[in-house]
Amino acid sequence: MPILTIQAAGGLLKALEDFLEKSEASFVLIIERGGSILSQHGEIPDTIDPTILSALAAGSFAATREVARRVGETEFSALHQQGRQSHILMSAINDEAMLMTVFGPKTTLGLVRFYSAGAVKQIAAVLEQARGEPQIPIDLGSEVTDDSCDVFEEPSRRV
Amino acid sequence: MSIINYVNKEIQFKIVYYGPALCGKTTNLTYIHSQVAEAHKGELVSLATAADRTLFFDFLPLNAVVVKGFKTKFQLYTVPGQVIYNATRQLVLRSVDGVVFVADSQWDKMEENIESFKNLEENLVRQGTSLDQIPYVVQYNKRDLGNPAPVHYLDFVLNNRKVRVPSFVGIATSGQGVFATLNAISRLLLQKFARENETAATKQQQRSATSSATTALSGIAAAAARR
Ligand SMILES: Nc1nc2c(ncn2[C@@H]2O[C@H](COP(=O)(O)OP(=O)(O)OP(=O)(O)O)[C@@H](O)[C@H]2O)c(=O)[nH]1
Ligand SMILES: [Mg+2]
Repeated sequence: MPILTIQAAGGLLKALEDFLEKSEASFVLIIERGGSILSQHGEIPDTIDPTILSALAAGSFAATREVARRVGETEFSALHQQGRQSHILMSAINDEAMLMTVFGPKTTLGLVRFYSAGAVKQIAAVLEQARGEPQIPIDLGSEVTDDSCDVFEEPSRRV
Repeated sequence: MSIINYVNKEIQFKIVYYGPALCGKTTNLTYIHSQVAEAHKGELVSLATAADRTLFFDFLPLNAVVVKGFKTKFQLYTVPGQVIYNATRQLVLRSVDGVVFVADSQWDKMEENIESFKNLEENLVRQGTSLDQIPYVVQYNKRDLGNPAPVHYLDFVLNNRKVRVPSFVGIATSGQGVFATLNAISRLLLQKFARENETAATKQQQRSATSSATTALSGIAAAAARR
């Protein structure tokens, strides 16, 4: 279970800040391979929901990787998509996470790719260390775990 | 594999709707999306063919209650039910926390239901997990279509593992049973989370008890050495 303690989350953010400053990319997400965001940094436009972006990115990265694997390519580790204004680079961090970088005309693919290599190493180390940390228990209390509790409401059927 | 973030104070769960082709998985998400208040939901994204069959997945992010300062988030996915899309189903199942198995109640769909359930079990095993570890519930959908199989029969063929899980009848097109199903799986996930946290709390107490015992012992040893 990925658990982001304050220390681990701080480590991830620090890596992203460094990376964004050097590469001059627009924004960057660390995405768990199941599709959830572990960390994010940079200016994400209001029109973009990062939760959706990460679910789609994880899907497309996983699909491309699977295609590569099926044609016998095991070294596949990054995916680049070129647009007119913005470009995307997705890189594998480890078996559990990937990095998605969105960048514009301020920088180049070469630079982003170059600095992402260092960022990926740094992030992998933070995640590796976080894996060993014991879980800090959270007591949710009985009101949500109660059998009669409805987590979601359905307005049209409310009595 | 729920994700806990102590900085954003968030707990995230991934729920996957599984089941044979055309059983109504996408319809469940469409109905949920139509009902949940704006502030609690994101966009419903569907990666589908022109004929509205799920090609990769549907995705709907939901924000639920805030408990003890932690936001709980549920990310709903559907898999494509068509047999040929198994590779895609495996990708969607990655890091799943809970499953809703949607079955088609029509008699002539029984074999497909059973096949799909087996396929779910196999795909979980490939990920190193199983229905013993992943909470799940079952929904018998399409109850409005003529002559549906009786619930006890569906339970007999699809809900026959050691532990019977909650099952619900549904007519997803009109929303019947959809929220009962969603609330049941969400509650199971929160309950499991609470249990695991109790275990973690006990371990932590034991750890601190051991470490204070160790300190005491080393104190004695030091005293002995001084003597
Ligand atoms: N009569 C009836 N039709 C239903 C019900 N639920 C879904 N449908 C219809 O069944 C068809 C298939 O539903 P979907 O939700 O797209 O099925 P699916 O499980 O997502 O199918 P795949 O994406 O191919 O796996 C649609 O035309 C729905 O309107 C129901 O309870 N009753
Ligand atoms: Mg569908």
